[in-house]
Amino acid sequence: MVLEINNLSKKFGDDTVLDGISFSVNKGEIVCIRGKSGEGKTTLLRCINNLEVPDNGSIKINNLYLFKVEDGSVHRAAKTELQMIRQEIGLVFQGFNLFPHMTVMENLMEAPKFLKLPTKKINSRAFELLKQLELENKCNCYPFQLSGGQKQRVAIARACMLNPSILCFDEPTSALDESTGNQIFKIIRHLSTQGIAIIIVSHDNGFVDKIAQKVITLSEGKIIVGK
Amino acid sequence: MESKILEMFVPMTLKGLKITLGVFLVTLIASLPLSIIVARLRMSKNKIISFIIGIYIYIMRGTPLLLQLMFIFFGFYYVPYIGYAFSRTQAIFIAFILNYTAYFAEIFRGGINSIDTGQYEAAEVLGLSKVHTFIKIILPQVLKNVLPSIGNEVITLVKDTSLVYILGAGDILKAAKSVSNKYSAFSPYIYVGLVYLAITAVLTKLLAKIESKYDYYR
Repeated sequence: MVLEINNLSKKFGDDTVLDGISFSVNKGEIVCIRGKSGEGKTTLLRCINNLEVPDNGSIKINNLYLFKVEDGSVHRAAKTELQMIRQEIGLVFQGFNLFPHMTVMENLMEAPKFLKLPTKKINSRAFELLKQLELENKCNCYPFQLSGGQKQRVAIARACMLNPSILCFDEPTSALDESTGNQIFKIIRHLSTQGIAIIIVSHDNGFVDKIAQKVITLSEGKIIVGK
Repeated sequence: MESKILEMFVPMTLKGLKITLGVFLVTLIASLPLSIIVARLRMSKNKIISFIIGIYIYIMRGTPLLLQLMFIFFGFYYVPYIGYAFSRTQAIFIAFILNYTAYFAEIFRGGINSIDTGQYEAAEVLGLSKVHTFIKIILPQVLKNVLPSIGNEVITLVKDTSLVYILGAGDILKAAKSVSNKYSAFSPYIYVGLVYLAITAVLTKLLAKIESKYDYYR
């Protein structure tokens, strides 16, 4: 199991957004989280990526606790643990959030360079990913020079640079036309065959039905269907 | 007559230029980096720090620079416990740097606020540290956004340097005044106006060049 979530809860003020969520994700599995707007899908994804701190429950990523409440006290991953967890999980944002002042290549290299990984190794990893995602001729382009689909593929490549075991997608098809959506479908499938667990938040039922191996439906912060 | 005026005006102005450009450059070099730190402190989650910086900015923007110059040179000596007699040069630099840091800080604060939170979140999920995120991801984007406003202040600074006359420093405007008094003529003021325009022209060109350097992305 690469991700284990137990009894996760989150409130914003008096508004309960997540209420006792529990599920797990296996290596290479594609899990889709669906539900109407405001049902807590994105909050759940943000909790898994440490962009939001839950109120209760636990999140375990590759046997490391990102968050847990034990005997009433909250434990969050310490700095070194968090850095290890960060390398295990990647997130492709709905709006991609590429760095606009950096080229495609620079976007990919920023995190590994910060971690002081050997330049030769990260260079070849970047080229390998760009080739896989058919972006090899876009290395020196800036994000504004790319189409929506290309930007998303760069965001995927950037999230894959540190070989994560989990990759999360927030509404991956919302900004794309059908044919680009199909391309993303193939890429996600390919990543899962490489052993990467995929978590997708989406309200695109057609896409979810096509790609998901497990579907979690959220309503009012609770899992109403998990299959 | 005019040639005699110019004969006196040119060397005096050249000497005055040292003061004018010196105040301009030192203020710019010191207050630009300082203002980024002040802007960050103003945005601090620590309410006491943010409040103190807010008061400082309020005073600097709410009182004339001329008054600040006078206070630091003439008045600061009389402040209980911390009173100190600054030299003329010290007083000029302190007043200009404090004043311009406050203005630049507010511009930077606006620039930092204009950056989408998604940029911080993307950096966070990539595991970048807060300092690295600010220096490598946020600041370059902020600089592009604030350059036109910073440019405005830079031009204002050139003209504000003339305020040093109140402390008796001999800048280019004082040179014009001396020549004008001696020959009872107005033309030195026209000439010094042309000098200001020339400095502004060079700066405008330079600022446009810096702005175009950031045109490589949108």
